[in-house]
Amino acid sequence: MSKRGTTPNRFLPPKESSLFKELLSLYETKQLKKGLKTADQILKKYPEHGETLCMKGLVLVHMGRREEGIELVRKGIRMDLASHIVWHVFGLIQKGEKKYEDALKSYTQALRFDKIGQENMNLLRDVAQLQTQLRLYDGLVETRYMLLRLRPTARQNWIALAVAYHLSGNLAEAKKVLVEYEKTLKNVPHYDVEHSEMLLYHVRVLEELEQHSEALALLDVSAKDRAIVDKTAIMEVRARLLSKLKSDEAEHAWKVLVEHNPECYDYYKGYMSNQGLNIDENPAEALAILREFSTQFPKANVPRRLSLSLASGEEFQALAEPYVLSALKKGIPSLFVDVKSLYTDPAKLKSFEDIAESIRKDTSPDTSVASSSVSTEPTTYLWSLYFLAQHYSYLSQYAKALELLDLALAHTPTLPELYTCRARTLKRAGDFHGASRAMEDARLLDGQDRFLNTKSAKYRMRAGLIDEASALLGLFTKKDASSPGADLEEMQSLFYLLEEGDAHRRAGRLNLALKKYAAVQRVFDDYEDDQYDFHGYSLRKFTVNIYLNVLDWEDHLRSHPSYIKAALAASRIYVDIFDDPKLASGNVDGDATDAEKKAKKKAKKAQKEKEDAAKKAAAAAPTTSTNEDKGLDVPYKDDDPDGMKLLSTPEPLELAWKLLQPLTTLAQNNIEVLIAIYDVAIRRRKYLQAAQALARARALDSEYPDLHVRIVHARHFVSILPEPIPPPVGPIFIETLGKILSEDVSLETYNSQFLQNHPTSAQTILAAAQTSRVLGAPLQEVEDLIFTTLRDEVQLDVKTALEISSFLKKIKSSRVNELHQALDAKFTLSTAFKTPDELAKLREWVLTTNSNSSSERTGNGAAPMENEAELGKEAGESV
Amino acid sequence: MDIRLARAEDFVGMQQANLVNLPENYHIRLWIYHIVTWPQLSYVVEDSKGRIIGYVLAKIEEESEDKTADIHGHINSISVLRGYRRLGLAKKLMLLSQEAMASVYKAQYVSLHVRETNKAAIGLYRDTLGFEVAEVEKGYYADGEDAYMMRLKLESEP
Repeated sequence: MSKRGTTPNRFLPPKESSLFKELLSLYETKQLKKGLKTADQILKKYPEHGETLCMKGLVLVHMGRREEGIELVRKGIRMDLASHIVWHVFGLIQKGEKKYEDALKSYTQALRFDKIGQENMNLLRDVAQLQTQLRLYDGLVETRYMLLRLRPTARQNWIALAVAYHLSGNLAEAKKVLVEYEKTLKNVPHYDVEHSEMLLYHVRVLEELEQHSEALALLDVSAKDRAIVDKTAIMEVRARLLSKLKSDEAEHAWKVLVEHNPECYDYYKGYMSNQGLNIDENPAEALAILREFSTQFPKANVPRRLSLSLASGEEFQALAEPYVLSALKKGIPSLFVDVKSLYTDPAKLKSFEDIAESIRKDTSPDTSVASSSVSTEPTTYLWSLYFLAQHYSYLSQYAKALELLDLALAHTPTLPELYTCRARTLKRAGDFHGASRAMEDARLLDGQDRFLNTKSAKYRMRAGLIDEASALLGLFTKKDASSPGADLEEMQSLFYLLEEGDAHRRAGRLNLALKKYAAVQRVFDDYEDDQYDFHGYSLRKFTVNIYLNVLDWEDHLRSHPSYIKAALAASRIYVDIFDDPKLASGNVDGDATDAEKKAKKKAKKAQKEKEDAAKKAAAAAPTTSTNEDKGLDVPYKDDDPDGMKLLSTPEPLELAWKLLQPLTTLAQNNIEVLIAIYDVAIRRRKYLQAAQALARARALDSEYPDLHVRIVHARHFVSILPEPIPPPVGPIFIETLGKILSEDVSLETYNSQFLQNHPTSAQTILAAAQTSRVLGAPLQEVEDLIFTTLRDEVQLDVKTALEISSFLKKIKSSRVNELHQALDAKFTLSTAFKTPDELAKLREWVLTTNSNSSSERTGNGAAPMENEAELGKEAGESV
Repeated sequence: MDIRLARAEDFVGMQQANLVNLPENYHIRLWIYHIVTWPQLSYVVEDSKGRIIGYVLAKIEEESEDKTADIHGHINSISVLRGYRRLGLAKKLMLLSQEAMASVYKAQYVSLHVRETNKAAIGLYRDTLGFEVAEVEKGYYADGEDAYMMRLKLESEP
């Protein structure tokens, strides 16, 4: 390759050449202002010097003058296409834009032109990080191998190669590298945490290779030498290995772990499975073991709680009584949530009810002290009321729950939990306004408690009071943020984004809803990007085991419930927009409420402020020319503050698919996800995808109402296509559909059969009505069917009733008000079906009690966190 | 309630539990950074549905210029959701983290910051765990409130 100075474009006389070297080192130490001056000095004489242009561009981007900088970089590349420096600079810029594939291409280009070839360690290290980010593990092995060959004295290069082999699936080579590496170590350091972590990684590799004896030997000798210093890890790995080796020592090893932390489920599970006990098959033996542990660790909760899951009949009763009583005496608020999962067994449910009722009776102030068999501590009575209220609320016996809460509040009016329980009960009963007011009552009892603040804000959003919720949230967000929501978004609060998105969606403000769901998507994008620096950092720190765990987590990131919720909600809106483009135009402003107008105005104002600030900064930059390093990452710019661009997108289905695509592998067992995938795929004419989603959903739950609608939709969709779908896709699609629903069955018949199978299920009736609509039934027929959900024999809850109401609105029925009146009469506690006037009054009522409490917080923000900078420090880019 | 060492799949749960519960919040990057750097020190409490309802996030201070200065642990953030109080979870989390600080890193003591008005937390640190106030840091919190810097000497390993 060319030598420096031999290409005419690259030639610089000695003076400029040394200035250029200076420029490189100024950049490396991020002395941006000086670097800029130096670059200008060179460019004055050699205005077309490509490498200098690129370096100047890079410096400018760091100083926040991105566009100007990138223009110079592009120009520089054109001037000197064969320079490794210009490609390296371009790669850095692309990496900052999170275009990892492009960046890798530029780096590869840079390596080609580097005259000392692979000796450019920085380039290679960056390439390795990009390859890891992109999960290109075969390439990663090569890069790590080159790095090790270039510098075998750097310990981390060995570990990095072993990890690369491991990731590429070649454990045997990973082991070899580790063994070779250990040979190079002269004095094995004692009490060295990094060395300890490396050895634990080595043990893990052996364990994954199923060389259990070898793993155990390495673990034991390293533990004895104090070369592995992590005692918890030693104990855990040892117990696991001994079990796998079927050693007699295993039982003791698990016992030691239980002693170390008697609240860890895994340790009990490990102990029992080591005894060959399957908890479900041998409950009696498992119970005996747990009883022993309970005696040994009387304060430990896990063995007692686990026993409740395993026991039944009288034995259960005998264990449950003291469990409940001691928790109520201590006033443990989580008792109900703790035992609720046992309610799947009706006998246990009844037991808990009886036990708690009996304690309530015994401790009630009305009961004479003499007849009482248990302590008459007044708080036990209170907590038993609290438990029972939650119990009945859970069983949908709302009136009874509320009555108990009234008793409890008369007893102790200052316990926030009683109000939060009332709030949850009212919410379940459909009284979103009363619920919000109750939650605010709870919050007012402890204004310093952010948990209660969060809850009250959430309940306001559920009642449609978005601005009022924001006012509450603002008590704990940074005062200098443009709004409480902006701060929460910046801090990656998933709860906030989802709740506000849902609140906007319920109010029909689809643009703002999409905006919030998109923000959730961005949080997950950031979660994914944030691993980048750790590809280098973790290896320098030798914490390989947790690092591999991080990679695995990142690979499954979007299976998180918050991501799934946002993806589903947004994709449903996009599908609706596709079906009815009017949703995206005019309609929104027409329906604008005060809150929306306000929100829009606010968003506009915030945006303007931002832009002004940016302009100001831009104007100030060239003159003051600050030395502040703004980094290479593209700052997020919001050019769609009210979500109108999202709403009026010309390709709603593509946006929906982008959200759902990761879920095709990460959430295959989620029927809602599969249905959403069908909805988008069929409209995108991706027939195989659509058929596959239907088949998979059917395997999960063939009677699922929403699935029924789609099965008919698919068949109907094909039947009205003007031309058959061409082969090979067409026949496969038809065949798959035929397997789901025989072609001989008429869709109308199929639908009425479905309805007949579950005549008292409101969900079924709704699905049948939706299906009729798909098949083109007249509006009146569909409406009549919908109104049968009001019959007494039909099981209808508020949630389904709300879905029914939205369906009627969607098909532009004129009977929505009629339905609401009927529903309002049916659900006496609920405020969900009130008229707009009544709702306006209710909103006022909710806010009446909310006087400004004197105990309000005054403001907040994050406390300093000193160490994080270290991460970027070592990982800083240099050319 | 299951108490165990924090893992990568807990990052989001820990971050979100902190966000709804405490005024001082952090980006995911910081959670990852701490747990990747000191993977032995942070613990979580998980409920039966796998939700994180409590956590302790901790680190080691060793980068002091003065090489003779004691290596010590620091509690960055600890919290247990309101509904899970009175189970002694915070105490158990603290003890597990402290033990790891001493045994893995030979930490001499552990420190933490607490709002001077946070009586419940101060009670736990001082009365239950034996911390003492080492100094008052004026205006430590973003809202201007002072922090107590509290310390506890850790038992060294035999």
